[in-house]
Amino acid sequence: MISIPPDTGRSASLAKDMLATVSSNDQKLRILLKPDLSVRQSLDTTDLRVRAACGGLGTCGACIIQTVDGQFNPPTLAERQKLLSEDLAGGMRLACQLRARSDCTLYLENPAPHSAWKSLDPTPLYQAQGNPTVSEYVYGVAVDLGTTHIRLSLWNRQSGRRIGTRYSINPQVAHGADILTRLDAERLDDQDCQRIGREAREAIIDGIRDILSRDMGEITPILAELGKVLIVGNTAMLTLICGNSGDSLYQPENWQSPIACLPADADAWRQMWRTPHADIDIAQPLAGFIGSDLLADLLATGITEQSQPMLLADFGTNTEIAVWDGTNLWASSVPGGPAFEGVGMRNGLTAEAGAICKVSASGLQTIGDAQARGYCASGFIDAIALLLDQKHLKPSGRFAEPPSEPGLLLQAEIPKSAIFASDIDIFQRAKASTAAAMSQLMSYAGLAISDLNRLWICGSFGQHLDLNSAFRVGLLPPMPPERVSLLANASLAGCEQLLLNPAGPSLLNNIVQRARVVNLGGVFEYENRFIDNLRLQPMSIEELE
Amino acid sequence: MLDAYIQSYNQAVFETDKPAALEVVNQALNDGFSPEDIVFKLVIPAIELMMTLIEKDPDANLAQHFMTAQIAADVTEKMLEKFSKPPEMIGRVVIGAAYGDLHSLGKRIVSGCLKSLMVDVIDLGTNVTAEKFVDTAVSENAQVIAVSAMMVHTATSEKGSLGVRSLLKERGLEQQIKLAVGGAPYRFDPELYTKVGADAWAPDGVTAAKVIVDLIREVKP
Repeated sequence: MISIPPDTGRSASLAKDMLATVSSNDQKLRILLKPDLSVRQSLDTTDLRVRAACGGLGTCGACIIQTVDGQFNPPTLAERQKLLSEDLAGGMRLACQLRARSDCTLYLENPAPHSAWKSLDPTPLYQAQGNPTVSEYVYGVAVDLGTTHIRLSLWNRQSGRRIGTRYSINPQVAHGADILTRLDAERLDDQDCQRIGREAREAIIDGIRDILSRDMGEITPILAELGKVLIVGNTAMLTLICGNSGDSLYQPENWQSPIACLPADADAWRQMWRTPHADIDIAQPLAGFIGSDLLADLLATGITEQSQPMLLADFGTNTEIAVWDGTNLWASSVPGGPAFEGVGMRNGLTAEAGAICKVSASGLQTIGDAQARGYCASGFIDAIALLLDQKHLKPSGRFAEPPSEPGLLLQAEIPKSAIFASDIDIFQRAKASTAAAMSQLMSYAGLAISDLNRLWICGSFGQHLDLNSAFRVGLLPPMPPERVSLLANASLAGCEQLLLNPAGPSLLNNIVQRARVVNLGGVFEYENRFIDNLRLQPMSIEELE
Repeated sequence: MLDAYIQSYNQAVFETDKPAALEVVNQALNDGFSPEDIVFKLVIPAIELMMTLIEKDPDANLAQHFMTAQIAADVTEKMLEKFSKPPEMIGRVVIGAAYGDLHSLGKRIVSGCLKSLMVDVIDLGTNVTAEKFVDTAVSENAQVIAVSAMMVHTATSEKGSLGVRSLLKERGLEQQIKLAVGGAPYRFDPELYTKVGADAWAPDGVTAAKVIVDLIREVKP
């Protein structure tokens, strides 16, 4: 049933990718075009999208783009039907038909209106067989509802065809409110809870409508044919989207036991979405502090089908960790994740355009080659590793020389490259709680690092992560890189499997049956490991043996 | 000779380097210094130095707070076993996380420092009721109850510090038992400690130990 080969997630070589410079009147970006994807598909993953009203078949003709230089595939039949021959001769093409055969330059005169939604790279997602027993309301949606991001995909469940994928920032983050931080700091009142739940519902249907309008060309009739929406997520978000108050999350006795997340008002929900036949299904969390997103990760990676020991970490607002010893699963989650999503850092960003995503002695690299606006997690981890190597930063987390007023500028002319002592302090805590949780669960399972057959890093955190930097600062146990797999959209892939694979629910049940939920709060040994792991140095192997 | 050890021990604590600190202690023992000397001349002055440094130094980070406490507690525990006679304790404190609060790390720093400062620490763990705090303080003859709370609702709850205060009042214990609080919410609102009925608070774990020692001395001069 496992459809994802273990070494996906990180492309081995970018040699076949073409570099495209794409500009519009007010935007310019550089992206890598994969040879097997159309220009439209590649641009759909960025802020600069072409207009579109069909699923990329070349039937709507909306995605006109000007080629400026470079080599491309010859015009297709669809393009010869939709475009005037003089336009074709002048380099106009349909982006959905266009494939680059060299580095190239493109100009987009009429981009789609700005949207919060982008497409995901579908290659590492689930591959469905199709299910002929689904005979009516054939469309289905898989949703991964995270604290900071929402990811979803629309499917024809009968044919097993994925129609589109989208991801976007959770509106909560756009409003500048970090739910889990607030859940931690103060009780959300009922009104807040209702609002967060409502906004999450609105965001999901907005994403579905974006797919329908761009990838199918019609909305209302398809919504009426939508038969199932399956949502995985962390417990807090699932509780809130169900319309329940956040109160139950505060009760310590609920933290380790399953919390039922059931929609309080399914009919009103369907009515708001205009999906009268949609069965809205919430994949139940494992415990108060372990969401069904971790279960979806486990389903996607197929760890629990293996006889070899493996370790999985899903970095997010809460970092969830699971250790599999070949028979049993230990699962826990630790706080401090906001640091991994840029929250709380003075120049912290999520992995978005302009985020510094790689740092080396030779300089900074930003997402989309845009002007640097701050660090995403991978860039920050690189920066810490570099500063340690250059002895500007000590293992205690203090600067060797106190920097002058605006923090330590990694690159003199870029104010947003400043790193502050408080950022490092926050990072140390986040990485210590993660590293300590890994070593504690490994100790419960009686495993050493050398026993691990594979380390899985799930979540968008892994997308740009440099493993050597992560080893250097002590965030991950040192492993040969070929035994580390990065799977950015694992939760969505697992949710897709649950939506489409008839055996999905029983596979999920197997995982739940074998899971031991561990609450590390108050575990004395864990606290010692936490304190020892605050130092910025590689994890000691003996400590884990 | 001792000065050199003091210097390298302080350095190791400041650098959060536990193996280096333990190495200094072992060297000093090998050189013939007594366990008493090591606690009273090395460990305690080092904590006191860190207390002053942390108060003055905005860049002191959490790793340093934790390590100061953990190294001190580890070394003191090892040395106490070797003391020729049990040391005289300053006093006794009952510590725990407030009802509904499962955060236990903050009080770890406090306990670690207190133990090295020769204060008996009775750690009730997390999610502790007001009754348990007060009952234990009475049965164990403690001078101070220290309540840690990392969330606003556990800091301000009637079942937390406010509950402890009303029990102390009810039972006429306010002169014998003092109440100290600490945790993130108190940092955001420096007046919060009075609103929850506490006698004192501290912004971090290392200075909390100092605050608690002061309270003990108020009750037990």
